[in-house]
Amino acid sequence: MSEPIKLEKTKNSPEIILDKGASIFKIAGRSIVEDPKEFYTSVYNWIENYIKAPLKETNFVFDLEYFNSSSARQIMEIIMLLEKIPDTGNKVKVDWLYEEGDEMSKERGDEIKLVSKLDFEIKEYPSEDF
Amino acid sequence: MTTNTIYQFYRLLEEDAISFSYRGSFSNNVLTMATQLFKDNVEERHEKLRNKLSFLMIESFQNISRYADKEEDISLYENSEFFMTRNIGDTFYIISANLIDNEKIPMVREKLEQVNTLEKSELNKLYREVLTNKHINEQGGAGLGFIEMVRKTKGQLPFDFVTIDNKQSMFFMQIELRNPKEDDGLPSVSLSDAKQIQALVAQEKILMMHKGDYSEDAIGPMLRMVEENMQNVSLKIHKKIFHFLVEILQNISKHSYALKGKHEGIFQIGYENKNFHIGTGNFILNSEIKKFKDFLDMLNSKTVDELNALYRKYLREGKTTKSGGAGLGLIDLARETIGKLNYEFKKINDIYSFYSLTVKF
Repeated sequence: MSEPIKLEKTKNSPEIILDKGASIFKIAGRSIVEDPKEFYTSVYNWIENYIKAPLKETNFVFDLEYFNSSSARQIMEIIMLLEKIPDTGNKVKVDWLYEEGDEMSKERGDEIKLVSKLDFEIKEYPSEDF
Repeated sequence: MTTNTIYQFYRLLEEDAISFSYRGSFSNNVLTMATQLFKDNVEERHEKLRNKLSFLMIESFQNISRYADKEEDISLYENSEFFMTRNIGDTFYIISANLIDNEKIPMVREKLEQVNTLEKSELNKLYREVLTNKHINEQGGAGLGFIEMVRKTKGQLPFDFVTIDNKQSMFFMQIELRNPKEDDGLPSVSLSDAKQIQALVAQEKILMMHKGDYSEDAIGPMLRMVEENMQNVSLKIHKKIFHFLVEILQNISKHSYALKGKHEGIFQIGYENKNFHIGTGNFILNSEIKKFKDFLDMLNSKTVDELNALYRKYLREGKTTKSGGAGLGLIDLARETIGKLNYEFKKINDIYSFYSLTVKF
């Protein structure tokens, strides 16, 4: 089993937790890195390896307040990898979280849902300001 | 704001290594971020000036709020306060402009004329006098700010009052901070340059303008500054502005032609007819213009539905370029902007051109 990936969030990059043992798969925060391809390489490789022997149920959480368009490409790459999980007879689901009132994050989620083949749920959570 | 506006400003600021201007309502956030921007981005040879520069920026900035006469709820209007810091060669200029009641002009003029004529020892003496004076004037400043500015720069403070009507005038002042260890031999930029820039900024309804190096490291503080200043607009608008900025600024750093190792560019945010306008300008190799122009024209010929379909296609299929963007950024700008992507290429020489782009929403 691959070692878990745990990346702290920075001003430009999201928090990432990929932990098969704990069944946590999460990308949260903002992703505005200029070279997302490089940034997401380790993530991509980890998932590529993971989908060979995934858990019975994989619940992948995206909680992105903001991402640039080149990160959108990389997020899509990750989603397309996850789309291979059902072929192994296991289940996969994406939870796309957005803060109440953040229409942009919701719309971006709707759009990715539209082009993905995954079980994809868009969920609002209450705004922190209240 | 038009593509030509961006070029006009670029020419006015051509010699500036960094410049930043802000117009509108002033908060400490703007100040914190503006000082941070210069702290992070001034060249190493000016490092010793950093603290002094921050100090003077703060003094100048606070001077605006101290002497400014305005109504409380300020939205943007023609004579909104203006603040600018620019670095040309080995000199930093800090410019402020704000409305002042005409009746206060003689008092301010007197203070400024006084500090501009005093010798160093006399200034020190005056400083101590004012500091211990119990009859501090109602604005609380008593001219200490002016004395400090002159003491710190060892120069004069050029100033001017431009009459607006029989009640108010625009009060312009410029601080000049030279690096004593370097001498670029360049003449000082006069206050009239600053007045010209302020007039154009006001005419074009620009809120914020930056010119400088748009490498990845330089974009960060800029984005954070804009973000900090968007706290009073709705989350929806805030997110959109931020989104556009990321795409458009990263576009400069990725695709611009680097002159002397710098991805020089200019960016502006304006607010006009209830729309935010964002404009950028940078250099591009002449050999890349056709490819760029064809792509922009293709995007401009499409409906929003077609652009959405194109975006989604690119999202799944990729076509990732060497910089990884896959053209998604421009497609995204095209589908979100009101109207078309306005662009212009102005040929500078046989090698490169100036490329300006504006969007609004």
